[in-house]
Amino acid sequence: MRVRVWGARGSVPAPGPEMNRYGGNTSCVEVTLSTGETLIIDAGTGIRTLGFALPPDLPRINILLTHLHLDHIQGLMFFPPCFRAESTIRIWGPSSPEASLEARIARYISAPLSPVEVRELPCDVSFLDAPASEWELGGARIRAEAVTHRGPTLGFRITDGDTTLCYISDHEPALGAQLHELDPEWISGYNLARDADLLIHDCQYTDDEYPGHEGWGHSRVTDTLTFAKRVGAKRTLLFHHDPLHTDSFLDDLHAAARERWAELGGYPDAIEIAREREELLVGEEVGSAATAAGAVPTTAPARTLR
Amino acid sequence: MSGQQKPLELILARNLLTSIATPAFLVSKDGSLLFYNEAAGALLGVPFEEIGRMSPSEWIETFGPFDTEGDPIEVERLPLTVALRDGRPAHATFTIRSTKGHRHEIAASGMPIISNVHGASGAIVFFWPLDDQEARKLATGRHEAV
Repeated sequence: MRVRVWGARGSVPAPGPEMNRYGGNTSCVEVTLSTGETLIIDAGTGIRTLGFALPPDLPRINILLTHLHLDHIQGLMFFPPCFRAESTIRIWGPSSPEASLEARIARYISAPLSPVEVRELPCDVSFLDAPASEWELGGARIRAEAVTHRGPTLGFRITDGDTTLCYISDHEPALGAQLHELDPEWISGYNLARDADLLIHDCQYTDDEYPGHEGWGHSRVTDTLTFAKRVGAKRTLLFHHDPLHTDSFLDDLHAAARERWAELGGYPDAIEIAREREELLVGEEVGSAATAAGAVPTTAPARTLR
Repeated sequence: MSGQQKPLELILARNLLTSIATPAFLVSKDGSLLFYNEAAGALLGVPFEEIGRMSPSEWIETFGPFDTEGDPIEVERLPLTVALRDGRPAHATFTIRSTKGHRHEIAASGMPIISNVHGASGAIVFFWPLDDQEARKLATGRHEAV
C-alpha cells in the first residue's frame, strides 16, 4: 500500500513561504492499493492538485469523506475529473437523518458559493452513505465508524491484504475522558486504529495551545500519542496541522512528539509528520521499516517527496 | 475486562456523565448498567469502578427501586424501561437502596439515546435525591465521591 499526502492542513488553507515544506492545502490523502486501485480520502484543497496527477483514463474514482466541514470538501469543486464526462466518481460520506449526502454537499456546490451546481457536473457522480458494516472497494476492506468530533464524522480503517491503514483526521478522543486509563471499549476510534500499520491522526494542537481549544474536535500532541500507544499503532503520521503552525513550528512539534514517544517506550522514528506530496510505503513493502513501537528498525520508514 | 467497542453516542454519553455533578446511570439497550458517575456512586454507596457492569436483574437486586411502601417496583414502570421501550423520556419518583443500606427517595428521568446510524443504543437516567440532606449536598456541589 502506498499513501501520498496531498494536503495535511486543517481548518483553512494556509499558503505562504513559511508553510512551504509542510504545505498549505487542506486534508487529502491518496491511497494506492496492492491491486493498483486508487482511493482518495477527503477532498480538501489538496484534491485539486491530486486531480491533475491522476491518469485521465482512470476508470473510476472512490472518494471517502470523513465529514463535510469545508476543509474536507473545499477541493471537490476544483477536482479536474469532476469536469470530464468520462469520469465515474463515487463519493462516500457520513449519513445524516437531516438530509442526503448529495443534498448536504450541494449546499457548498451551489449558488451563491459556487458558479456550478452538482447537477451540472459532466461526470458520472454518485453520493453514497458509508455503510455501517465493513464493505469492499478496489480489493480492500473498508470500515467506517463515527468518531469524536463536532458533527457527524467518520474515521476509516482500510485493510489491503495484511496491511492496515487507519485515517482519523479530525478527532478529540480525550474530550471528557482519561485516555490512558479507559477500557478500550470506551475509547473513540479504538477498533478502527487497533494495530494499524499506519495511523494518520489529528494532531492540531500543542499541549499548551489545547486549553483554549478544548471541545473544538481536535487533539493535542499528548492525546494523539496516548491514543497511538493505546491502539498499538506501528507508525503514526501527525496530521491536520493548525493553519497558524509554520514549518519551523511544526519541526519543533515533531521533535517534541518524537521525544515524548521515546519517553513512552516507543521508537522515535515511528512518529512521523505529514508533509504535502510525501509518499509513504505501508506494510510488507517496507519490511522492517513498518516498525512496531518499541522495536529498533533496521531501516528508516520509507518516505519520499515528489 | 473489555468487550466490543461501544458506539460513539454511548462513549460521548459516558464522557458527559463523568463531567457532571448530577447523579446519572448509563444503560445499554437491553437495560444492562454500563456506567454511573461519581455523584451517583456517592448516593449508591459504592463507586462504579468497584461494582462494574451489571445485568438488569443484578442492579435491581442491589439498588431497588422500591415504592413508598417499600415494595419492589416492577421493571416495566421504571423511567429507563419506558425510555428504552417507547423511545421517549419518562419520569418517576421512588426509593433506592445504597449498598450501605441507606434508603434515598429520588426523582428519576430516563432519556433514550437513539443513534443516527444504529437506532436505539441505550438510555441515560438522571436522578435527584429528594431527601433534604442529599439534595443540599448536590445543590452546593459538595457531593463527595465514596
